[in-house]
Amino acid sequence: MRVALFVTCLVDLMRPSVGFAALRLLEAAGCEVAVPETQTCCGQPAFSAGERGAAAALARKTIAEFEGFDYVVAPSGSCADHIRHRYPELLADDPAWCARAETLAARTWELTQFLADVLAVDTVAGKYDGSVTYHDSCSGLRGLGIKAQPRRLLGRVAGLTLKEMPEAEACCGFGGAFSVKFGDISAAIAAKKCANVQAVQAGAVVGGDLGCLMNIEGTLRRQGDEATRVLHVAEVLAGSNGKVA
Amino acid sequence: MRSQAMFFQRRAGAALADPQLQKKFAGLKGKFVDSRARAVAAYESDFDELRDAGRDIRDRVVANLDVWLELFEEKATQRGASVLWAKDGREICAHVLAIAQRHGVNKAIKSKSMLSEEAQLNAALSAAGVQPVETDLGEYILQIAGNEPPSHIIAPAAHKDLAEVADLFAATHHTPRKTEIPALTREAREVLREHFLSAGMGISGGNFLIAETGSVALVTNEGNGRMVTTLPKVHVVVTGIEKIVPTLEDFATLMRLLPRSATGQEISNYVSLCTGTKGPADADGPEHTYFVLVDNGRAGLLGSDFQEMLRCIRCGACMNHCPVYQSVGGHAYGWVYPGPMGAVLTSLYTGLENALDLPQASTLCNQCGVVCPVRIPLAELQRKLREQQSERGLRPWSERAALAAWAWVARRPALYALAAKLGVRYLNWLAGGEDRIRVLGLAPGWSTGRDFPAPQGRTFRELYQSRQESKA
Repeated sequence: MRVALFVTCLVDLMRPSVGFAALRLLEAAGCEVAVPETQTCCGQPAFSAGERGAAAALARKTIAEFEGFDYVVAPSGSCADHIRHRYPELLADDPAWCARAETLAARTWELTQFLADVLAVDTVAGKYDGSVTYHDSCSGLRGLGIKAQPRRLLGRVAGLTLKEMPEAEACCGFGGAFSVKFGDISAAIAAKKCANVQAVQAGAVVGGDLGCLMNIEGTLRRQGDEATRVLHVAEVLAGSNGKVA
Repeated sequence: MRSQAMFFQRRAGAALADPQLQKKFAGLKGKFVDSRARAVAAYESDFDELRDAGRDIRDRVVANLDVWLELFEEKATQRGASVLWAKDGREICAHVLAIAQRHGVNKAIKSKSMLSEEAQLNAALSAAGVQPVETDLGEYILQIAGNEPPSHIIAPAAHKDLAEVADLFAATHHTPRKTEIPALTREAREVLREHFLSAGMGISGGNFLIAETGSVALVTNEGNGRMVTTLPKVHVVVTGIEKIVPTLEDFATLMRLLPRSATGQEISNYVSLCTGTKGPADADGPEHTYFVLVDNGRAGLLGSDFQEMLRCIRCGACMNHCPVYQSVGGHAYGWVYPGPMGAVLTSLYTGLENALDLPQASTLCNQCGVVCPVRIPLAELQRKLREQQSERGLRPWSERAALAAWAWVARRPALYALAAKLGVRYLNWLAGGEDRIRVLGLAPGWSTGRDFPAPQGRTFRELYQSRQESKA
């Protein structure tokens, strides 16, 4: 089974450990993993900003790079959701490209969904000594229906206790450019999310999208919370727990 | 109401900086969000199927709006009502003033009508010597507070607390200051009773217009609606043309959705169906009924990318569940309708160029779309408005240039890799050896309330490449 890893922009720039953790998880599950070298951005920021032309151009580029594989897997609900649902829609006026977009969309998965639903993985390498709480990212949750999969997989991590926080499904306020354009509103929303994280007194908050995690981590640290760890679900499942393995 | 939507940022900032206001928003959220969740859980069958049915009813109307409006006009006229048409706020005011003049009215009692806010009807009535009296408790509080605009479509005075209302009542009614809610309510009731009995005209909105009977349906919790529509000799209904539903059965379906979505009630305290004028056998009711059916931008949405917005039944669930609304409240949005539905309606009805921030002021989390009883894809409509802003060149050049540059570089992998490498080096330099960046120079908005986590070091592609090379 040939699987292409889609390394998101934020993972590439900010937190390569997430990419390596995803790689290890897929390899451990028996996949032959490739990382196409020319991949860049899926085009979601342009699409969300209303720049349809740029988004369509990046969609074509990504389709060309990823279409030879059995599956495409991204450690991000928002990029996977964009490829799955928006590529066919963006290229709807161009039948040949639209067909290619639909083929790719049908093969594209978010990491935990792929591991749990497609590969039916039930053992993971990760070890975590303590409790974590899981934040549901908006695109993964409402776009792809990801809710049970990461929780089921986290339940397989040795030593880990999962504690549910209040309003786990509430937006953290990141919203891509929203967090910069409306910094004070975004920070206020993030502060509520962090209060919910702290309310359950878990050692770490875990999520499937780096944007949310950076928003939550930056808020916790600014508030002086140095103790609560902020981890991507791939890192916990693979056992790297934030280290570039 | 003149739109202040251009000042969203400033008004939002002020709301965030007001701790009293923040406390009230938190209370409101707890009330509406939890109540809706309980009501949906307690609903005897599948609430999502009910939402589908609601959407289908609204779509059926919107697809053939002219047909249903004609039927409504025919049926309402048969029952003795007059049907008038208004294309904008100016025409609404002209119609209502002409009716007031015809019947020699010098006082009008009002039940809640968002369209009268769109039209600034109270100001027009006052200017013409007709005293408008709001009788919805929330609206009444706002009226005596110097004609403040509502901050929520179903809880207009949600931004005011008990102490403020106590002060207002004491000052306006010249009575001893009371702080118990029942005592305040009783006082308002006493003051309003006199107005109910002396007004020559009642003005109401309408939650739905029912085509097969020519009726208007009013859904309220206070009972003032039925006084406004039955006591005075003249009843004027001001509603949008999209408020039609075909049959009473359709109305019953939507009534399962509306109160549950709005306040978490199975049904509201009062549901009134007003049909025509007082008949010979009727004990009460108006002698003259007028429907003012208003376009004010609605017809322009037909056949557009935004037609789905016409399904809206004004329940407020989208704003109650919106993280942005929960943080800044309704006044920040600057016009009649706040929250996600307001961001779309204000942009469409007052002009995209007059509401530049509103389509942007969303994380696109789509919680609004999930709770909307008629499945309006509110986040998607906001995104489409962003597309229109972009097409019309309404975004700042710096933002467009940055996006264009990003997309241009992202199509050139070698250049992208170089830019990523340099970007990470720059961020690490800003972090200065710490695991965080305290002031993010290029995006200062980020660092007002948060640190920006520092990158781990090198990019994934650099690390992966050297790993592959060492393997070979």
